[in-house]
Amino acid sequence: MVSIAVTGLGLATPIGLGHETVWPGLLAGRSGFRTVALFDTSRHGTHLGAEVQDFDPAAWVRRLPVPSMSRASHLAIAAARMALADAGIDPEQITPEAAERFGVTMGTTSGEPLEIERLSDLMVGDRLDELGPELAGRYPCHLIAAHVASELRFAGPNQMIPTACAAGNYAIAFGVEALLAGRADLMLAGGADSFSRMTYTGFGKLGAIAPDLVRPFAKNRKGMIPGEGSGVLVLERTESALSRGARIYAEIAGYGLTCDAHHMTAAHPDGDGPARAMERALQTGGLSADDVSYVSAHGTGTPTNDKLETLAVHRVFGRGRKVPISSIKSMIGHTMGAASAIEAAVCALAIHEGWIPPTMNYDEPDPECDLDCVPNQARQMRVDVAMNNAYAFGGNNASVIFRRPHAQA
Amino acid sequence: MLRREVVVTGLGLLSPLGDEADAVHEALLAGEIGVKPIELFDPSLLTTKNGGEIRPFEAERYLGERNLRPLDRTSRLLISVAGRALEDSGWDEARAGGDRRELSLAVGTTYCSMHTIGEFDRRGLKLGPNYVSPFDFANSVINAAAGQAAIWHKLTGINSTLAGGETSGLQAIAYGADLIRTGQADVVLAGGVEELCFESSIAYSRAGRLAGGEVGTEGNGRPVPFDRARDGFAPGEGAGLLVLEAAEVAEARGAKIYARIAGSGAAFAPERNGDFAAALARAIAAAWTSNGAGGGTLLCVGSGASGARELDAWEAAGIARGLEAVGAAGVPVTAIKANLGEALGASGVFQALSLIATLADGRLPGIAGLDMTDEGFPLSGVSAAAQIVTVTPGGLALATAISADGPTIALLFAAP
Repeated sequence: MVSIAVTGLGLATPIGLGHETVWPGLLAGRSGFRTVALFDTSRHGTHLGAEVQDFDPAAWVRRLPVPSMSRASHLAIAAARMALADAGIDPEQITPEAAERFGVTMGTTSGEPLEIERLSDLMVGDRLDELGPELAGRYPCHLIAAHVASELRFAGPNQMIPTACAAGNYAIAFGVEALLAGRADLMLAGGADSFSRMTYTGFGKLGAIAPDLVRPFAKNRKGMIPGEGSGVLVLERTESALSRGARIYAEIAGYGLTCDAHHMTAAHPDGDGPARAMERALQTGGLSADDVSYVSAHGTGTPTNDKLETLAVHRVFGRGRKVPISSIKSMIGHTMGAASAIEAAVCALAIHEGWIPPTMNYDEPDPECDLDCVPNQARQMRVDVAMNNAYAFGGNNASVIFRRPHAQA
Repeated sequence: MLRREVVVTGLGLLSPLGDEADAVHEALLAGEIGVKPIELFDPSLLTTKNGGEIRPFEAERYLGERNLRPLDRTSRLLISVAGRALEDSGWDEARAGGDRRELSLAVGTTYCSMHTIGEFDRRGLKLGPNYVSPFDFANSVINAAAGQAAIWHKLTGINSTLAGGETSGLQAIAYGADLIRTGQADVVLAGGVEELCFESSIAYSRAGRLAGGEVGTEGNGRPVPFDRARDGFAPGEGAGLLVLEAAEVAEARGAKIYARIAGSGAAFAPERNGDFAAALARAIAAAWTSNGAGGGTLLCVGSGASGARELDAWEAAGIARGLEAVGAAGVPVTAIKANLGEALGASGVFQALSLIATLADGRLPGIAGLDMTDEGFPLSGVSAAAQIVTVTPGGLALATAISADGPTIALLFAAP
């Protein structure tokens, strides 16, 4: 059984910065959807996006030059600084010896897509002579984790995990392994992605973008809305968190990673991969499905995802019991590689605060999604065990389980 | 806690010097250079016109007559080596015989396909958003090759992609081994892939990191690891996978064992300057410690040095400090990127495969083209010629890599 403490949370989302803002916003059902500002959508069939508003990188990126990196790195550094502060750690007070034991692992879908989009602009516009040295220093996705570590002087293990829309959970799983193996004493683990025309165009081509609202699990759901953001968790071995007197939001009890090995963009029709990920996570956590109080759904709001996720949830939990399951993507959209990291923070907060956020925009029930999806209203309830689900292109499935800290059980 | 031994039971690779591990080992020993004029794209805007290109790469040879259209070059490379690794390890046969065990995959890559991503975006720009290719979009995620390989070979276990520039491939092997040690997986295909393409090459060229000096000048520079006249790296490509397996699983099915993964360590250089040497030394020390306080003698080092002006010097300094700390100063050191180019995610696997071959026959390739090292160069074990190492059972080989962006890694392989 795993015992890794979550001691800090950092969030940069389309409904605000910091869990002090984001959490009440989620409980109140705030919407982060606006007309896309980053690029012209006049030739697209949809126009809404979930961009992070009023974000000033210079407020967060203090040691490295702001223009030396791209937007996902800015968002990641902001979330990382918030998470550390939330964990009661001042990066300026970390000794060099301790910093050698502090690592960073981040997930992403597209890395820094704005940089390759600029390359495309130059190539298509026959202006390649304008390309300078910046691309190699701003584009490769591993720069996100590297920039976070350089900014904070974290000299321990550093790992980028680009496993698309399940990447936040994959990075958390990597962080857990690094801590359990004694490779680090503290890991910042999370995910980051920036809004991009490529992502928007691609999902549009797949017909996966909703024109108006994201309605996970509802009968007339029409798709997801792409978003951006970053979520970062401070992870420590529970005994070291306790010995420094840290507040522990939740502990990570286990995780399960599986692959459908079926199709790049379409999930397996019987939900086998997601079910195996949930079962593995329960098994490594020494838990049964009955122990789970709350499930944070992948819940993109596409017709297929929500139907198959329902099938998988039924396989794991049985049809007799309706575990509360909600999707915050109904409010902040699909933040890609950041999504499951932000949702991991939601699981930790649900345990710590005794509330679960709603699935908004839920109108007509869908018999194919016969779940208790906590429709439209946050619910106050004791949460002892929360499961965080995430699925991705490539057939990647990831479930991470959080539980109430043992000291408070 | 569960701590299992991890062994290597199968190999697959595609490199500019061939697709057979033994033949590539012989080519490296003979000092053959796989870095040649680039034909995959027009290299005239690059400082060097040479790269480590796989030519010809006929995916049909490995993948048969099935529909390859949805697969880009990166996916084809990875799927090809996965097939060979499964065959070599005996897992092909075991699965055909009814073994239903889940196989996992850990792929190191920096870009997956920067070319596919660029093509997707450029098509949308030129023709409009309705005319982009759904195939290209599916392949535009950085875990696309890992996903495609899982589909092709029915790998239903953990499927992770690890990005870290020059360290990616070794990162994936280290992670795969950790997953087996802690019981998260029994069998992991671990390694990496990278394609040679215009987009990544122009990025490095404009950043002044490729060999060859000014664009338009004659010559292709000197991408020779540790050489005093080195002036950058040659871009490369390839793919390689090791089949990593819990020793108990391998023994139970009577698999041949190439080597044992003895330990690994990773560290980061936040200042991205001289602290690279300190970081790599820490990574080496961590790898040594994770080997259970140093069972076995360190016999040789396979460095990730590429001809990069500063990075090679830092890597040499880091290796020297690491070797001194573990009492192995002066052991033979090689670097094979003069032969193969800098293939990022694939390079770490090439290093691993080369060291596994050395642990089998005691012959370590030389550093092709090495003429004279920097003044005060700290490693006495480098040589342009192949070297002989006396391999004892359990003898260790160390692979190292530094990414220009901060990550460093060290991995220890042990002779069976």
